[in-house]
Amino acid sequence: MSKTIFTIPERCVACKSCELACAVEHSCSKTLVGAMMENPPPQRRINIESVGAFTYPSRCQHCSEASCVSACPTGAMQRDAHDAVFSDSDKCIGCWMCVIVCPFGGVTADQSSKKALKCDRCPDRVAKGEAPACVSACPTQTLLYVTPEEFATERRKATAKAAFANSEPTAQPNGMDILRSLKRAN
Amino acid sequence: MKILIIGNGPAAISAAETLRAQDKGCEIVLLSKECVPFYSPCPLAEYVEGTVSRERLFLRAPDFYDQLGLQIHYGQAVTRIDSAARQVWAGDQAFSYDRLLLAHGSKAFVPPIPGLAGTQGVFELKTLADAEGVLARIPQAKRAVVIGSGFIGLEAVQALVHHGLQVTLLEAQNHVLPSMLDREMADIVEQQLIQHGVIVKTNHLAERVLSNAQGVCGVVAGGEEIPCELLICAAGVRADLSLLEGSGIASNRGILVDERMQTNVEGIYAAGDVIERPDAPDKHQVLPNWPNAVTTGRVAALNMLGIPRRHPGLEAVNVVRVFGLPIASFGVQQSEQVLRWHNGQGAVRKVLVSQERIVGGMLVGEVNGTGVLHELMKKGVNVAKFGERLTHPGFGYIHSMEPLRAIRWA
Repeated sequence: MSKTIFTIPERCVACKSCELACAVEHSCSKTLVGAMMENPPPQRRINIESVGAFTYPSRCQHCSEASCVSACPTGAMQRDAHDAVFSDSDKCIGCWMCVIVCPFGGVTADQSSKKALKCDRCPDRVAKGEAPACVSACPTQTLLYVTPEEFATERRKATAKAAFANSEPTAQPNGMDILRSLKRAN
Repeated sequence: MKILIIGNGPAAISAAETLRAQDKGCEIVLLSKECVPFYSPCPLAEYVEGTVSRERLFLRAPDFYDQLGLQIHYGQAVTRIDSAARQVWAGDQAFSYDRLLLAHGSKAFVPPIPGLAGTQGVFELKTLADAEGVLARIPQAKRAVVIGSGFIGLEAVQALVHHGLQVTLLEAQNHVLPSMLDREMADIVEQQLIQHGVIVKTNHLAERVLSNAQGVCGVVAGGEEIPCELLICAAGVRADLSLLEGSGIASNRGILVDERMQTNVEGIYAAGDVIERPDAPDKHQVLPNWPNAVTTGRVAALNMLGIPRRHPGLEAVNVVRVFGLPIASFGVQQSEQVLRWHNGQGAVRKVLVSQERIVGGMLVGEVNGTGVLHELMKKGVNVAKFGERLTHPGFGYIHSMEPLRAIRWA
């Protein structure tokens, strides 16, 4: 199977690095300074959602039977060669059908450009063999760019470790750990 | 196996594509009433407006039918289905089938107003031919009347305003978008229309259409005469049941199908605007929209080939823009508990709750996250713990997640 983006919500500390990296990647200049100067400002396609101290980077799940693709009446919403769902902004007429059928809230209605915005899994970066911008930017490895098999292996290891050790990691607590313990307490 | 599909719209095409992907050998024949290849009817108003080109309406390549090995017969209006002989008649030509898919869609409802039907300058906005008729009429028109303020009506209004016409909108009920919004939300939409120069007349039932040598010249509504050179009738759509006579196929408001899109007659399936689902949560509803057409077409195709697949339920959701103002609506419009959010700049979101479950929603100005709410409604999730937060635009998917705390990743 090909690589895709996985999320481990327990690791997210809402630093919003993914949001920033996403906006930069989808800007014209693709640099942070350049992106800040652009008008209209570039828009992110990943969104940190929160409930209390529990946070989660919400984005398109690139569903296999994607409701947005079925719902698009202009053929703008489609699937690329890497199985990622993307919206062709030339064909998009901003009817927002995709926005109202997505159960994940993965498509955003951009009122200024009148186009649907969503994660395209960074085709330019993937073509160069790099991970998508949000994954590269994530400092807590909440977002992973791996194959489903690799993800399953990781998960099995973590479960086994938890079953045997059944204790907290022994390292000195740092800021991240405090945030994490807050999340657990919630 | 010979599969016959009546129709050439999204349901028919999604079915044909699914059939071909699953079975390279079967014979697929499509009968189209119209004489143009598959096009999307949803951006027709934008086409009239001029923001979407004609080529953009055609969503498939010109050689699409040959590429997939589909036989398409244009201009074949089916008149009779002989289910005993497994034959379909279009005029005096018969087409035989092993499996039949009815995907001929809906037709515009033409209210019984004297002088409406057949008058020059009177159009529906349902097909490409209608849109082209409107475009041809626009140069000789200064004033237009649109009957019906459903979403086709509102889109037509915008297209005509864009062409500089003086547009009057007639709605028989007491507010615009009666099937999507309640009074308060409809007032926001009405203000938006008025601001863009549209004359909105609610509680105005069109009584008579006046015409002269040049075609339509006015409408009498609510006792007053409204002069116009162009009239668009957008009083809703109905499932097209005209060809069912004598076929034994059960129908109510639409063709009755089960969750596999099968009708009561063996070997005959139906999909798209024409169906009615008696088993669905929203009982006995005909929901003519694009997502339902595509997904029911796909499910019907798989079941026709003997691959069992159930349809999860129709999307009872719709969205329309009125001069840039997005309006989304799903479920019902009235309920005992109404949660409300507004940002003071024209955006209002209402979520309707009954017995701790979402039963509907109306969102004006800010539609992001509608899908999440609609999903909660479809799944029947208890939303009591979310309270007022449901209506906030930031209410996202995270609320329907149960954090996995059993595994320590960190």
